[in-house]
Formats: sequence, structure tokens, C-alpha cells
Amino acid sequence: MNGRLFLQQVLNGLAIGSVYAIFALGYTLIFSVLRIINFTHGAIFTLGAYATYALTGSQFGINGLLAGATLPVRLPFVLALLGGSLVSAVSGVIVERLAFRPLRTRGADPLLTLVSSLGVAVALVNVTQYLFGAEPYSFPDPLSELPSAVNFGTAGQPVLVRTVQVVIFGVSIVMLVLLTYLMNATRTGKALRAVAEDTTTSSLLGIDTDRLILLTFVISGFLGGVTGTLIGLSVGIAGPYFGIAFGLKGLAVIVLGGLGDIPGAVVGGLVIGLAEAFVPAQYIAYREAVPFALLFLVLLVRPQGLLGRAQVQKV
Amino acid sequence: MLSVEALTCSFGGVMAVSRVSFSVQRGELFGLIGPNGAGKTTLFNLITGLSAPTAGRLRYQGRDITGLRPHRIAGLGIARTFQNVRLFGELSALQNVMIARHVRTTSGLVGGVIGLPSARAEERETRRRALALLELVGLADRPDERARNFAYGDQRRLEIARALALEPELLLLDEPAAGMNSGEKRSLGGLIRGIRTRLGLTILLIEHHVPLVMDLCDRIAVLNFGELIALGAPANVQRDAAVIEAYLGDEV
Amino acid sequence: MATFLATYDFLLVSMALAAVLALTLYLPLMAGQLSVASPGFYALGGYVAAILSTKVFHPAPGLYPVSLVLIEMAVAAVVSGILGIAVGLPALRLRGIFLALATIAFVQILGVVALNLDVTGGAIGIFGIPQPFGSQLQYMWLAIPLLLLSMLFVARLERTRTGRALIALREDELAAAAMGVDPTYHKVLAFTASAVLAGAVGAISAHFINTWNSRQGTFDTSVNLMAFVLVGGSRTFVGPVVGGLVLTALPEALRGVADVGGLPPWFAQFLRDGRLIIFGVLIALGTVFFPHGLITPGLLGRLGLGRRTGRV
Repeated sequence: MNGRLFLQQVLNGLAIGSVYAIFALGYTLIFSVLRIINFTHGAIFTLGAYATYALTGSQFGINGLLAGATLPVRLPFVLALLGGSLVSAVSGVIVERLAFRPLRTRGADPLLTLVSSLGVAVALVNVTQYLFGAEPYSFPDPLSELPSAVNFGTAGQPVLVRTVQVVIFGVSIVMLVLLTYLMNATRTGKALRAVAEDTTTSSLLGIDTDRLILLTFVISGFLGGVTGTLIGLSVGIAGPYFGIAFGLKGLAVIVLGGLGDIPGAVVGGLVIGLAEAFVPAQYIAYREAVPFALLFLVLLVRPQGLLGRAQVQKV
Repeated sequence: MLSVEALTCSFGGVMAVSRVSFSVQRGELFGLIGPNGAGKTTLFNLITGLSAPTAGRLRYQGRDITGLRPHRIAGLGIARTFQNVRLFGELSALQNVMIARHVRTTSGLVGGVIGLPSARAEERETRRRALALLELVGLADRPDERARNFAYGDQRRLEIARALALEPELLLLDEPAAGMNSGEKRSLGGLIRGIRTRLGLTILLIEHHVPLVMDLCDRIAVLNFGELIALGAPANVQRDAAVIEAYLGDEV
Repeated sequence: MATFLATYDFLLVSMALAAVLALTLYLPLMAGQLSVASPGFYALGGYVAAILSTKVFHPAPGLYPVSLVLIEMAVAAVVSGILGIAVGLPALRLRGIFLALATIAFVQILGVVALNLDVTGGAIGIFGIPQPFGSQLQYMWLAIPLLLLSMLFVARLERTRTGRALIALREDELAAAAMGVDPTYHKVLAFTASAVLAGAVGAISAHFINTWNSRQGTFDTSVNLMAFVLVGGSRTFVGPVVGGLVLTALPEALRGVADVGGLPPWFAQFLRDGRLIIFGVLIALGTVFFPHGLITPGLLGRLGLGRRTGRV
């Protein structure tokens, strides 16, 4: 394997991986505070993508209830992105209130919450499909002024990465830094970590746990919406079911990185992205199995993930 | 019968049990006392395989049982009750006791489901023995009552019946008198003495209610901060300076 | 009656097979294990039957012999059982969420593998699977006995030494171990029994549906099964069976309502296509309002159908 090909594959891996990473950040954030796996993250990120699409004034496809409709607004891309992500954030909060809070107040097993989130995710994705149809959408390109690709090689031996993928990588790093700063260096972050340790004690200490949990879902949902839109920008929206596909793959990412570990989400995402990029050509058809094979392996060998701490079981 | 040799168990830097050694003779009623957090339950967990020791050995009837898994240890004849009652709450009292007959019975999946005569006979026998044990602890009147519905004191006795279903030779009782009033405690003391004699058991007893321990036990070991600080006949232990100091502030 | 059976022949057989599949989720659950691996074994069983019937057995033209179908079921059961033990032994050391995730991963991996092997027909799958019966309704001759036998098996299981061991593990694994129950053996046993049953259902289904590809036995199937058990009931074998029967019939019933007419078109459309929305919502509602499902041993007792309290 020559150096140029190697570099190309590494960059491809990082590109794919950073998509997984931003998705996983929102996913793992919820686990870090509430110790639950929120499978609806995938459905919510889909909603965000569709909402952004709608807010750019684009027209919906021919299937679904809203066939042919457009919103009476036509926002520039960045504003649409913000709006769409707000829609995600709000959806996340609604899901929290309706589906998760009753289970939380009852001290239900996290497994039950996982099952509930699976149900809600499937329901939401199918509602999206019912409204918007299952056909692919692509976004109007907001980066048309920029060159379409960045060259990491030389003019004679180009190693190209699409600009949008570089943007996504950049966003993932920025998000990682912001979230880590939030969790470790701010009072809110300390409060969140207190809630993560012990919700009851935290509220007894005067921490407004409800508001903090709300905040967690807002951040997570917003991140989800941003992710969905960026992916929509990068590869287009393949249909609402890509929310389920991401939800599933996201499980592999967050477990590999360490459930609840924020840098772990990025590490996990990049590792899986790289693993997928380096699948040898003759096995390329099995690429989709790689994240799940890694997930299975990690669960057996090191369930706390790459960056997590081993948990001691108290008898 | 049971030999604990320099047993140590640490959880992430905390020494729950530290180089504890003692032996329990066959037929003894051996008490284990100490302030809260002294490591008594951890010691029980080590003996029954629920926790693995970091160092030291455990020998039972001459055989090294260190690190064996709980169900294997149960199969060797060591049974226990738990500090926080761990009955199968949704199941009936009878079913709780019947489950513990598992190691003493052999019907497999297929035989049981098909209903082979041997399996059916074994099932009847299991029921009979379970009912007899319920009778022994005085709970034979409500065999089909859900275990979680029983009063706390009765739950503890049900747990003892369940442990006995294992046909153990060594019985570990973890604070069996907790939550009982003095009448119930007396009755429990009688029950424990009774099963020791009638069933020829060796009994290891963790208990906070010191008069009960002094009254029942042949010998007592005292733990504090995971270490064995005294061992001997109740009267001697009661006068031991280290023990008195450990209990300073507690009722003795 | 005859026209009812003729109209709903596909549905009735599907209902019966769904009920059996629901039991495959129930079996590990009896030991307290949430495993959504059965769709994987279901897919495997189907492929075994499809491959055997289209590539290995070369029967005479005309109806495919039922005896060969039974042989395929047996082979599917054995293959699933072996894979079940192979996967179960390592995976069942995991608990709770981790086990659920591992079984999700397992189904995904199998799906990708099935999509890419030549012998499984790749993306197209295997089609033209021979028919042992002249009409779809006659598949009941396979489906109903399988359903009754599995129900009988599970019902009997609950009253035996092994069944008690499983239930004890569900209630309190540590206490059960301390009472002599080998957790690994029993968990793997339940998991393997579940795999064997799912494989057998898959084998029948391959013939029933006539084609088999990687769209059979996926994550969606896991969601269906969870709905069956969560809504139907997770504490008695009657629950998953009823859940499977009713929830498979439900979309058809809703479609019938939609066809009656007089409804706003968007609502009618929702009734027709909203199966997964309804299942998803039912799952979410179920976890909050009836986590043990609608059919509980208590309910059965009150209806005079179950045994006295305390028996699960």
C-alpha cells in the first residue's frame, strides 16, 4: 500500500468517523447524565434533518402526506440549520417528558427505558415516513462558493477530501471541545455530573435536577439535529429509516468509546470510521457488519469500552 | 470442617477483609460479630463464592474451595441466608423452598417437560420435602402465598427453610434476627438450636444482637475493619479489651 | 366460514407463526434475559430450508413432500441450536442492556453476511421455494401443531425443576446461584431452546412466503417481537402467544376499518400503513403502564384460567 493511498484511506476514515462522532456525542451525553441509552436520538436527528430541509423552503417529495408541500419560509442555510436543530431539541424534550420521565420517577430498570426508546424511535421514524415519504432528499448546497474538495496531497498526487467532510470533522472537534468544557469547567457541568452520580442526593442538595435533565435533552437533541443536517448535506437524506440505521450503528460507537464518555464518543466514532475505511477491497460488502462485529467483541472483552472505567459489581 | 486461611478481599483499595484466619469445627455453632462494615457479610460472600478473594485460601472438609462459583459451593453442602432477605418475591413460599432442592435433584429439561415417571416422582418428592421444611420453620399454613407478602420475620424464617432445602452440612446465617422482636428472637434461637441438633448442622452465624450470640454460640470470632481481633468462647471474648474498644458506644 | 378462511388464509398462518416467534423471546426472558437474537435464528432457519429445498433436495415435480419440509425444520433447528450455543456461551455472560445490545449486534451481523454470501442468493435472496401445499391455508397443518407443541412445552417447563431454575434466575440471579442453580448452563439452555424454535419457524416461513432474503429476520422483527411480549404479557406463556396473535391481526383489522369508508383520507391511510407507529407507541405505553404486559398471571387467576396466586 503506498503512502498516498494510505493517507486517502485515513482521511476517508476520519471523514466517516467524524459523522459518527457528532452523532455519538448527543447519544452518549444522555447516558452520561441519566445512565440510559436513548435510541430515539436517531429518530430525532432525522426530524432535525427534515425540519432543516423544510425551513430552506424546499419542496417535499411526491410520497407521504405532505407531498409537494413547501413551507412559506425560505431561510438561508445556517438559519435553517439552527431552526431544524431547535425542532430536534424540542422533540427530544417532548420525548423525555412523555416517555422517559414516568420511567425515571419509578426507578425503572434502564433496560425498560431502552425498550421504550426503541418503540418511540420506530414510531417517530414511521411518522416521519408517513408525512414525508420514504424517498431520498438532497439539500440545496450552501457551500457552493467554496471549492468542492480540499487537497491534502500534491497537485500531481491529489488526496482529496470533500469540503463538507472537512467541515464535519471540524464541527465534531469543536463540539467535543465545547461539551468537554461544559462538563468539566462550568458550574452547570458540575451540577450535571452530580445528577449523573446520584439524582436523589443532587436534588436534596438543591440542584434543580429536572431543569438539568431538560438541558441535557435540549443539548443532545440540538446536536442530533445538527448532525442530521450535516449528514443530509454530505450524502443526502436516504429516507427516514436512516435514523434507525444510525441509531443502531451509534450503539456500536458509544459502547466502543465507553458509555457516557464524551471524548469516548469521538474516539469510538473515529475508530469505527477508520475500521470501515480500511476494510480490504475483497470484503467491502461486509463493511456494514464491521461496527457490529466490533460492538459484539467489545461487549465480550471490555464492556466499559476503550475509555471507560471498569465497573466493580457490589454484592 | 471449614478452614479460612489468611483470607483477604479488597475492593478498589478498600480492604473489606484482611488476612482473616480461623477454623470452624463440625457441629459447632460459630458466631461472627463486629461493628457495621467490619467485613462480616463480605466474609460470608467469600465463603459462598459470591465474591472472589484477593488472597488467601478457603478449605471445606479438606477440599480447597477458593474461587469456586456459588452454585458449585452450594452443591458441596454450604447454604446461606442473606442480610437483606433475598427471597424470590414473586414466587410462593413453597416454590422458594422447592427451588433450593435443585442440587439434590436431577430431572433434566426433556424428562421434566415430557413428564417421565422418574421426573414426576422426583417432583412429588421435592414438594413433600419442601412442605416438611416449611413445617419445620412454622410456615406450613401458607405454602402458596407469595413470598413478598410475608411479614419480615416470617420472610427470614422462610429463607432459612430455603437454605435447609439444600441439605447443607454448613449453614451460614446472616443476621437472621434482624427486625425481630424479643419473642421472635427467642423463638429463632430455639429454631437454630433445634436444627443444629436435629439435622446435625454446623452453623456460622452473623448477628448484631449480642445476647443471642452469647447464648447460642460455642465460639465467637470478632471482626473489626476487616481484621480478626478476637476468637474464643463467648465469655472470654466479652471481656477482651480489643473487643470492648471496638464496640465502644455500641450496646454490649 | 369457508370464505373467511379463504380470505384470511395468509393472515391466520402468519398469526400462528408470529405467536411461536413471540415464545422465542419469552424463553430467555423466563431467565431474566432480554435477548432479541431470535430474528437472526429465524433468518438462518429460513435460509437452511430455502437452500435445502432449492439446491439440495431434487424432488419430483408437483407438490413438495411435507416430509422434506419436516426434515428441513429439523436441520434448521439443529443448526440454529449449534449456533445458539456458540453465540450464547460468550454472550450470556453479559447482563441487562449489554446482553440486549450484543443480541442486536448479532442480528445485524447475520443480516450483512446473508446479504453477501452466494449460497444465500445475495441481495436478491432465494426465490421460487417449492410449495408443500396447494393452498396457503394448508400451512396451518404445520403452524398450528408447532404452536400447540411450543405452548405445551413452555407451559410444562414452568412446572419443572428446570423451569423453576430459570424463574429463580429471573427473580434474583445471585440468590439462585447461592441456592445451587448454575446460571450459565440455564441461561444458555433457554437461549438455545429459543434459537431452535426460531429456526424451525424460519424453515416453515421460507416455504410459506415462497422467497427468502435478508429482509427477513431483521431489527424490525425484533421490534415486533418486543411488542408482542411487552403488550401481550411477559410473565406467563399465554401473554406472548396472545400478543403475537392479536398484534399480527391488528393491522389487518385496521385496514378493514379504513376500507369501510367515511373516514378522512389521511386517517384511513394511517390505519392502513401505521402498523409500526402503533407498535412503537404500544411498546412505549407498555413500559410505563403495563410493564408486565396485559396478560399477567394475576389476570389469568381472576379469570379462573390460571393457578392460584404465587404460581407463575
